[in-house]
Amino acid sequence: MISTGINGLDEMLGSGIPDGSRILYSLEPGVDGQLFMISTLSCALAKKRPCLVVLPNTTVDAFRNDVQRMYGARPDLALAPVTFFDSVDWERIQKGSKSPEGRARELQARIRKLCREHDVDVIFVYFDLLNEEFGTDAAAAIFTSAQEREKKITLVIEHLNLEGEQLLDHVIRDLNFDLVLAIRSSFRPFPQFNYFTLVHTSWADLPARSVPFIIGEGRVIPYIPRIVVTGPASSGKSTFVLNAADDGHSVDRMAQEGSMTTVALDFGWIRWKDFDITLYGTPGQERFDSLLPSYLGHAMGALLVIDATNADQLPRARLLIEMIARRRIPFAVAANKSDLPGTLDPGLIRRSLAIGDEIPLYQISAIRKSDVNFVLESLVDSITQFRY
Amino acid sequence: MYTYKSGIAQIDEASGGFDAGTNILILAPPMSAADQLAYALTKPVPGEYAIVLSTNERAAEVVDAFKVAGADKRFTGVIDAITKSSTPGITDTARLMFVSSPTDLTGIGIKFSNMVETIFEGNFADGETGLFPPPIRFCVNSISTLLMYRRLEVLYQFLHVLTAKLKKIEGVGVYILNSESFDEKTLSLIKQLMTCVIEVKVEQNINLMRIRGLSGVPGDWMKFSVSKGQVTILP
Repeated sequence: MISTGINGLDEMLGSGIPDGSRILYSLEPGVDGQLFMISTLSCALAKKRPCLVVLPNTTVDAFRNDVQRMYGARPDLALAPVTFFDSVDWERIQKGSKSPEGRARELQARIRKLCREHDVDVIFVYFDLLNEEFGTDAAAAIFTSAQEREKKITLVIEHLNLEGEQLLDHVIRDLNFDLVLAIRSSFRPFPQFNYFTLVHTSWADLPARSVPFIIGEGRVIPYIPRIVVTGPASSGKSTFVLNAADDGHSVDRMAQEGSMTTVALDFGWIRWKDFDITLYGTPGQERFDSLLPSYLGHAMGALLVIDATNADQLPRARLLIEMIARRRIPFAVAANKSDLPGTLDPGLIRRSLAIGDEIPLYQISAIRKSDVNFVLESLVDSITQFRY
Repeated sequence: MYTYKSGIAQIDEASGGFDAGTNILILAPPMSAADQLAYALTKPVPGEYAIVLSTNERAAEVVDAFKVAGADKRFTGVIDAITKSSTPGITDTARLMFVSSPTDLTGIGIKFSNMVETIFEGNFADGETGLFPPPIRFCVNSISTLLMYRRLEVLYQFLHVLTAKLKKIEGVGVYILNSESFDEKTLSLIKQLMTCVIEVKVEQNINLMRIRGLSGVPGDWMKFSVSKGQVTILP
């Protein structure tokens, strides 16, 4: 197995990429996704796997410099078992052969020779120019033929995808790629929002997932910038946020009836399974309802917390669900205090809130960290399977 | 919606300027002051930003040209596709970014996005004016060079994404294309991506231009000169 270099992604894939696979990192124009390939290269080199890097549009020196800028000091390409085929080599082939067929033959021979001489385990290819020169099938065949001669070789391709979904379908269906990861951007739910989509995995039956990410500290960080935790007053939202978070803050004040109540927002920051997640806990009183649409504005998911022992809260909770549903984001309901006597029947809760089976309803106790983690895990799962 | 002044009195009086999201093609023969005209249209006025993708000149030369034109260099960014091939170790700053060559469309797209993001985040320069979305003038100098390295179909798709993005961020784009080096198919395909075309020609050492697609501005040939970033329509 080779790690992708992104823990959250490795976990989704079942601990990384199997040897001998064909991988495509498809980049939408303008999306800062070059670190995906660099991270995988770095991990392969760290494991001392001999690599061949094919970069027809740049020189080795410029590439080394870019890697250092993107990834910090790692990997030390001068010490690692890596061979390059760069723009200087590519120009030589272009000058040497007049026809595209001749150039393809020469490139193929060169790649095979390099693989043989250096006992290459993984080939990394920057594909754009070769795709343009030879067409997708012929360009891919140059490298897949090397794979066919030596089964253990893994092929990792980065491509600027100007062709869109058609190209992805083609490489999956006709070129038998094992992993296709599309790195994209969107202006929804907020501007300059980058995410990667697990389009296809041959070795596991995984749902198509879209995971937002940011680039920070020289790595790709799966990122959920806002999950809103809302619900009627005293339902346990602050407890949920504080129990979920590595670092959380509550702004509770004493309410007139003597219990604590949130007067602004609760914040929680979590690094969970390599995801960076921020939780926003809203106040539960009706007078704050006008603020809820703006909290939900850029949210990627929402959790409605209700007190499962208090039927009087259900009409209010239903009102909040209507506000969430308008945003068309994944959400779930957590029936808190389900460990206490007098808990409402889940069927009654569903009917009262008018939610179907597609909306998850969890019976939890927000003081139990395991319950909170379970809800969070399920919600993140829904968010990553949501189509943006 | 924000309106970008062209800086040419007659045009701004007639049309009010360029609407946000306008993409302008300058179709010009060599030696016709197309670069100067493009830079004059891209020069940021106070409160605006400029980004130049340069495939012909080094970043330092572009910055100098803007300085001569009277632009505040703090609000001018350059994506340089020239320097890195000879100086691989050169590093990016917020305002000067480098890609390995004009073939590197992946790098060009990423640097453009990064620069726009820095501007949107308010981290581009001191003395931000706080207009939102920040008005950005973007210049590609030139499509002709990009076409030397990449196929028309590929470049068309790439520019399609770029021009759409510019519309989304409510910027204005200025693109230079040599009118004499490419066939009609190329010119017409690139024109499809544009909302306004400025044609330039030279007759007896006099520069002439005509503007198509800008409401209120007649499509007649006008004599013009460019000096220190200022375009003057001659009688």
